[in-house]
Amino acid sequence: MALGDLERDVMSQLWDAPEPLTVRQVHERLSEGRDLAYTTVMTVLDRLAKKGVVLQERADRAYRYAPAQTREEMTAALMLDALSDAPDEATRDAALAHFVGRLGPDALRAALRAADTAVRKRR
Amino acid sequence: MTALALGALGLTLSLVVPGLLARARWPDRAPAAAVVLWQAITLTAVLCALGVVLAAPEEVVRAAGSGRPVATTALLAALAVAALIVARLLVSLARVSYRSRARRSRHRMLVDLLDRAEQHRELDVDGLRVLDGALPLAYCVPGRSPRVVLSDGALRVLDDVQVAAVLAHEQAHLRHRHDVVTESFTAFHRAVPGPLRSRVPLDAVHLLLEMVADDAARRRCGAGAVRGALERLGDDGTSADRRRRLDRLAAPHARPVVLSAAVAVASAALLVLPTVMLVVPWLDRALDNWPL
Repeated sequence: MALGDLERDVMSQLWDAPEPLTVRQVHERLSEGRDLAYTTVMTVLDRLAKKGVVLQERADRAYRYAPAQTREEMTAALMLDALSDAPDEATRDAALAHFVGRLGPDALRAALRAADTAVRKRR
Repeated sequence: MTALALGALGLTLSLVVPGLLARARWPDRAPAAAVVLWQAITLTAVLCALGVVLAAPEEVVRAAGSGRPVATTALLAALAVAALIVARLLVSLARVSYRSRARRSRHRMLVDLLDRAEQHRELDVDGLRVLDGALPLAYCVPGRSPRVVLSDGALRVLDDVQVAAVLAHEQAHLRHRHDVVTESFTAFHRAVPGPLRSRVPLDAVHLLLEMVADDAARRRCGAGAVRGALERLGDDGTSADRRRRLDRLAAPHARPVVLSAAVAVASAALLVLPTVMLVVPWLDRALDNWPL
């Protein structure tokens, strides 16, 4: 199984869980129906934490992991990144290629609203 | 004389020609050839600038009949300025490609984590990622490990053939490495000094590349599907670029063999002729009095 797929599955588990999970809990949830080493899960969580998408907290002598943002927040932020003009001109034009130009003001407002709702839902 | 001629050509190519070419309608029929012509124009303009920098001091020194020390100094100064121009272009290119790559790799990492494509097994496409969210969205993340990204909203407003058309369009961008073309024009745009800088070539090439990808999608899925996708994914009816893409998709499509060949010849001539007719004779004269 590719590391990328595993990272995605780990994130899914963290997003679906109501509270931060330990490595063991993530490992238990993922190893149903597949052979997965505990250390692999640990490595993946560590990598995700380094990327800044997962937060690591120490509680009761065990590390617990939680997503830095909800799935909705992260999706909204990603869409905004895809839609909006990047802060500098160089990457604005060259980085991503859209099917229909960059979004007009209406769609951008809709995207912003979606991002906003996602953030408020969390609080 | 050589410097004046090169200067006039360079200024024409950077100030007059882009406006004319951007307004012309024939590129809609042969967008790929038009992109090549834009590249030739841009490259020739750069070569003209270098030619002016190298030829002008030499010509002035020779006309004034100055001695060897002056000629040597003039040549060294000219070489230094030419090197500066080349360096500026290269630095701009490196910077643009570095920043684009950084943004893409961050974007790719997040889109991989958020992917929901396993819920859309019917779409069997390499590197396809589906995002949750009602906002209709379709784009690609170019690079060595490219992604095509569709939002759930886009899948909902498009029918199957239209989805296939969008995917074919994005894959054409990725396959033909349109990102490299865009990056080079962006880099050039940023390297040009303020008063001469214009967004016209950048925007024109961007639209032409969309047309090239539209044509690839049209060949695979039919013009109707591409038009339908463009209509449903566009958010407002006012975008002139989208209008142009829709209009040309409505016209019957024939491979523009003659037009493309003519444009290719013109592009090659633009690159080669000024060098042969202006630079070579000058170099011949200049080397006779080479001061170093």
